[in-house]
Amino acid sequence: MALPELLPILVIALYFLGTVLFVVGSALRNEFLKNTALGLAALGFALHTLDLAQFLAGAEAARNLTAGRFLFCLLGWGILFIFLLLWWRLKLKFLAVVAMPLALVLYITANATVGVNTKLPPMLSGLFFFLHIGTLFSSMALLAMAFGAGLAFLHLEKRIKAKAGLKQFQKDMPSLDTFDRVNHFVALCGFPLYTLGLASGYVWAWLSARRVFSLDPKEIVALIVLGLYAYLFHQRLAMGWRGRKPAIMAICVFLLTVISMLGINFLVPTTFHGFKP
Amino acid sequence: MIFLVGLNHRCAGVDVREKFALTNVADFEKSLLDACPLREVMALSTCNRVEILVVADADRCAGIDLPEAVLRHWAETCAGPLSTLREHTYRHTSLDAVTHLFCVAASLDSMVMGEPQILGQLKTSYRKAVETGTARVIINRLLHKSFSVAKRVRTETGIASSAVSISYAAVELAKKIFGELSGKTAMLVGAGEMAELAATHLLASGIEKLYITNRTFSRAQELAKTMHGEAILFEGMVEQLRDVDIVISSTGSPTAIIRAKDIREVLKKRRNRAMFFIDIAVPRDIDPDVNALDNVYLYDIDDLKEVVEENMSARQGEAVKARAIVEVETQAFATWLKSLALQPTITDLLGRAEDVASRELAKTLKRLGEVDDQTRLALEVLVASVSRKLLHEPICFLKRRTREEGSAERFIDMTRRIFNLDADAVIEDAHLDRRTVDDDTAENDALDCECCRDDALLSRSSLEFQADPPEQPNQTGLPNQPSQTGQK
Repeated sequence: MALPELLPILVIALYFLGTVLFVVGSALRNEFLKNTALGLAALGFALHTLDLAQFLAGAEAARNLTAGRFLFCLLGWGILFIFLLLWWRLKLKFLAVVAMPLALVLYITANATVGVNTKLPPMLSGLFFFLHIGTLFSSMALLAMAFGAGLAFLHLEKRIKAKAGLKQFQKDMPSLDTFDRVNHFVALCGFPLYTLGLASGYVWAWLSARRVFSLDPKEIVALIVLGLYAYLFHQRLAMGWRGRKPAIMAICVFLLTVISMLGINFLVPTTFHGFKP
Repeated sequence: MIFLVGLNHRCAGVDVREKFALTNVADFEKSLLDACPLREVMALSTCNRVEILVVADADRCAGIDLPEAVLRHWAETCAGPLSTLREHTYRHTSLDAVTHLFCVAASLDSMVMGEPQILGQLKTSYRKAVETGTARVIINRLLHKSFSVAKRVRTETGIASSAVSISYAAVELAKKIFGELSGKTAMLVGAGEMAELAATHLLASGIEKLYITNRTFSRAQELAKTMHGEAILFEGMVEQLRDVDIVISSTGSPTAIIRAKDIREVLKKRRNRAMFFIDIAVPRDIDPDVNALDNVYLYDIDDLKEVVEENMSARQGEAVKARAIVEVETQAFATWLKSLALQPTITDLLGRAEDVASRELAKTLKRLGEVDDQTRLALEVLVASVSRKLLHEPICFLKRRTREEGSAERFIDMTRRIFNLDADAVIEDAHLDRRTVDDDTAENDALDCECCRDDALLSRSSLEFQADPPEQPNQTGLPNQPSQTGQK
């Protein structure tokens, strides 16, 4: 079968071209290049979706669900999906700078971890899969967007506060308010998703091993992230936090999730989440 | 002889400009015409400038210092000292005056270079002058030309796209902070030209509501009326800030009137929604510590100037381009002005007739084929004498008119236009404003006046005159293109 073998290469090529074109287009302030880049990314996204569908359609769908390749693939897909959603809702083209490279890196990582497969009981499928992995990945994708928006916010705010002059502001950079709205959106949707994902994880731990908390490094980090996320959620929605502080907070939370995802899963021995070959 | 006296924001302070403003003077042009031996007058008065454009007969007023006489009348009208006026005004004569007027129309002379309001104000002034009958041939032509210069400058250079100004910078910054400005509210604290200008720009960019406050409440109410804002008491200003996103401050207060302490409270009440403060006052009205608060951005006049200067250097090139356009158009106007003498017009008229005659003759000869020299000579004499005899009466008429006072230029101009001696291309949408009633956009600001209607009738009659064959009148009702004239 030629297509399935070709598919990953096509997706990688499209994402790569899209990323490069978008960065070049941003540097040259060329709208055409940027739109072409987004078109390429959208095409890549479509093929990416096809790739995922292929996984699920296969005979070994249940086993595939927990394959490292599939999971990374799904995370990259989720990030692009959230980006496309934000692009549609907030007209925020700018975040492609974050979403496209992340999707590319995750997709490449996914294909590099073909051999990795976690040994998980068949219980973690269907409902639990979506409750645990779907929700956590969506909230991570949201955090990735908040990360990019937060960095852009801090950069632009510094310029405005320091009175660096209009010329230096990138003309096509959206306003502070737009970046803040991304943060708001992420806090609003991401925190409930993350909570749900974590709670379902603990329920599953209790069902399978009859214990909720096992001092697993992954679980500790997850709880810290949940705490910070909750703080962000509360301060934003109840206390009216805006601007700089939530932006910094979102950046921190995202970095922590990245550490937890890549660092702990690959390097540290952990109960359920090890991807270590 | 054309000349122009005036004052603007560069050479006269606010008090002088206020003193000598002609905004509320009725029929200044008429009274000036009565007081001085002038032919045409038009006065433009805005908050930033007063310009008095005058056309006079050179021979009629030899030995009189006309600009001085105009200044005297102006000073008398405004009941102000003549010496002050003399000190703060500029004078331009002939082509300098034309260039200056073009620059004014194209907003190259404005405080906010490239702002579009001045053109509208000029159109209003011109319409007034036409209505009172003080604008005739030369001012008509000059003003129409200046409108087209302004349009050229606007479309061919980037000057209008981003006006170099402090208010522009303020609006741009506000957009960087808030994104869209629609739905945002602004507050003007204190009055002052710059602050009002900034507020006007904000309103133009879609600000939803404007509050105006002033120590003297009546002044705030007055401003609120002109700017469609809402006046609020000075004492209630800080309380009101919770609903305000953008604050423009320019009071004469010696100490800060908005302090960081107050703003911290305000921010709590408005749940940290961002605020943008523009402090135009010197000394400053707003505590600089305000800028250190999260979600609050404070720019004072020096900060804005820096922003503007950075912008300015990049846009000098556009101004140079615009001035080049003005230069070219001034030369074109000078050529037209020169042609208003009788002799060149007669020469052109006869030349045009000869041209048509010889062309038609050539066509006829071609159709006839071989003819002997005698017939050929007879035909040549025929067409030449027909064209000359036809023009004899108009030329005599023009000569008679030139001997009369004041009307020569009007008739010469009309003749030139009837016969299209200047080969002006008549564009498709020329005089659209006079033909359609419902078209009331600023772009096609209808210059509905007696003389224009006459012109329109004239161009239409000249059209019927040219139309060939006469049974098929031009469907579009447009004056014929010059190129068509020769082909028929």
